[in-house]
Amino acid sequence: MSAAQALPCTRQEMMAIATGREIRDGELAIFGVGLSMLAGYFAQAHHAPNVRAMTEGGIYGAEPVGGLPWGIECNRISSNATSFTSCLDALGCLVASGRCDVGIIGAAQVDRFGNVNTTGIWDGEDGHIGDSYRQPKTRLTGAGGANDIACGAKRYVIMLNHEPKRFVNKVSYVTSPGYLDGGDARDRHGFIGGGPAAIITTLGILRPDPLTREFLLDAWFPFSSVEEILGNTGWDLKVSPDAHVVADPTPSELAALRRVDATGMLRRS
Amino acid sequence: MSRNKLISLSEAVRRYTWDGMQYASGAALPVGSDAIVFGRELLRQNRRNLHSIFHCNTQQLNLLAAAGATTHAECGFTGLEVFGFANGLRRAVESGDLALEDYSNLAMALRLLGGALRLPFVPATVNIGSDLQHRSAFAPDEYPAADKIPAVTDPFSGRTVGALRPLEPDLAAIHVTLADPAGNAIMLGTEWSRYELSRAAKRVVLIADAIVDDACIRQYPNLVRIPDIIVEAVVYWPFGAWPQGSPGMYDVDEEHMKAMNTALATVAGTQAYIESFVEPYTDIDAYLDLIGRDKVAALSQTSTGFLLDPYRQWIKPHAEVLSLIAESTLETAQ
Repeated sequence: MSAAQALPCTRQEMMAIATGREIRDGELAIFGVGLSMLAGYFAQAHHAPNVRAMTEGGIYGAEPVGGLPWGIECNRISSNATSFTSCLDALGCLVASGRCDVGIIGAAQVDRFGNVNTTGIWDGEDGHIGDSYRQPKTRLTGAGGANDIACGAKRYVIMLNHEPKRFVNKVSYVTSPGYLDGGDARDRHGFIGGGPAAIITTLGILRPDPLTREFLLDAWFPFSSVEEILGNTGWDLKVSPDAHVVADPTPSELAALRRVDATGMLRRS
Repeated sequence: MSRNKLISLSEAVRRYTWDGMQYASGAALPVGSDAIVFGRELLRQNRRNLHSIFHCNTQQLNLLAAAGATTHAECGFTGLEVFGFANGLRRAVESGDLALEDYSNLAMALRLLGGALRLPFVPATVNIGSDLQHRSAFAPDEYPAADKIPAVTDPFSGRTVGALRPLEPDLAAIHVTLADPAGNAIMLGTEWSRYELSRAAKRVVLIADAIVDDACIRQYPNLVRIPDIIVEAVVYWPFGAWPQGSPGMYDVDEEHMKAMNTALATVAGTQAYIESFVEPYTDIDAYLDLIGRDKVAALSQTSTGFLLDPYRQWIKPHAEVLSLIAESTLETAQ
């Protein structure tokens, strides 16, 4: 008798809709490949028709054709562009410069201060690498443009499946900086961008405490609960006093998302 | 009449590459326009100990790493986007056979720009404060790493920024959509960092899907982002980015992308892949036969085909290009 069966959408779809709700109309926005691109183009198809979307590949004005793009440069995102430029242009002139309003990035692991690891998984105690760098037990995909978005975008959203192995007290390797060790750590480094505004998962939404910058449980989905989220988080996650349940997807939201996700990638799990 | 710099692929690799060199490619993102066929030829000629500069991993670096041909690599992204982890590269890193130095995508573009301008360093406001700055696979015992992205003071504001080390690879093999025989190139789709790489590298060899008459270049000089004066040689090789895609020309071969990555996950699979898809062909026609003529035709039906329309009238027929290669001084001079 799982509540999920009653829900009109999958957990991945709810995550994409909740992420898309973070994007406001008219914003300059950068989307990565895969889930984050679906969330971003959902926002454009639903409530943010004038979002100024780009990929880090320097592809502007395009909408995916023929299914989810295989990459941010592939032909499915190159069939109706208004401008093709470069990495230096998109990630440099428009993101690291501080012009980009919002980015969406994925993560293999995230910690209590919103630091993201997409570089590797190390064995040993708590996954600590130690003083000498060594090869990871499992090599992941590396930074890509996520570090540049994390440093330069005015705000960004981290999107990932909610599992204990992904929500760790301290990431082994900080690939993309969140709030580092918390408080004013970002200011000390002089980052141009403001840091992660939310971690949106398959179970709910975490947002940073304005002072400590530690992420708190802000909201759960109609099919999840505070207990389920705490049980799937590898640190002693605190619950915000304002914590609440997220509104169900509306029929128009679901219809827009499924138009964007034409091949049903978010409905497979 | 401008110079004919066409050269065969095998001669280009023989002439411009050597064991232990700093070799750059992969400046067009992981599933896009990359000179993958150049990497196949590096293996055919048994090049070893390469120091690979790949802005992004591609199936080329995945293959070189799987085959044990590269001992060092510097990258901004090391996956295959929606195709997942790059199994050959992953295996080489996890076994310790490949030292992989990590940067971000923008950092790699800035390092290439720094090399292009021959700057002493490039100030960076990205990669700082993260383990991209603090951890070095090339100097594993230094923590925090001292020489990877050293902290320096901005003389104007007094703030601390990172100093990125410029890149000047020995050779860049750059995939382009169109080139004339002299080496003027037009890239359809994002150029990613091919502009910066073409200026950073000590030598540039183009791998072009099609050869055009220089009248095409003179019609669209604004679009020629790599001019002949910095190009050493031009390799004509249709489907040179296969199984990746080339906007305007052909789509990603999804089936082969997956099969190749599956094969590269093991030593035996890699050997089988090399025997089936690296060693057998003797020329361009045999290579296209190996891909399969039906598949070549299907992949060419790309929704981006209209991007090529303005240039089609200047594309030289296959046979004419083959004779131009035969009469090129680069090909005949020893």
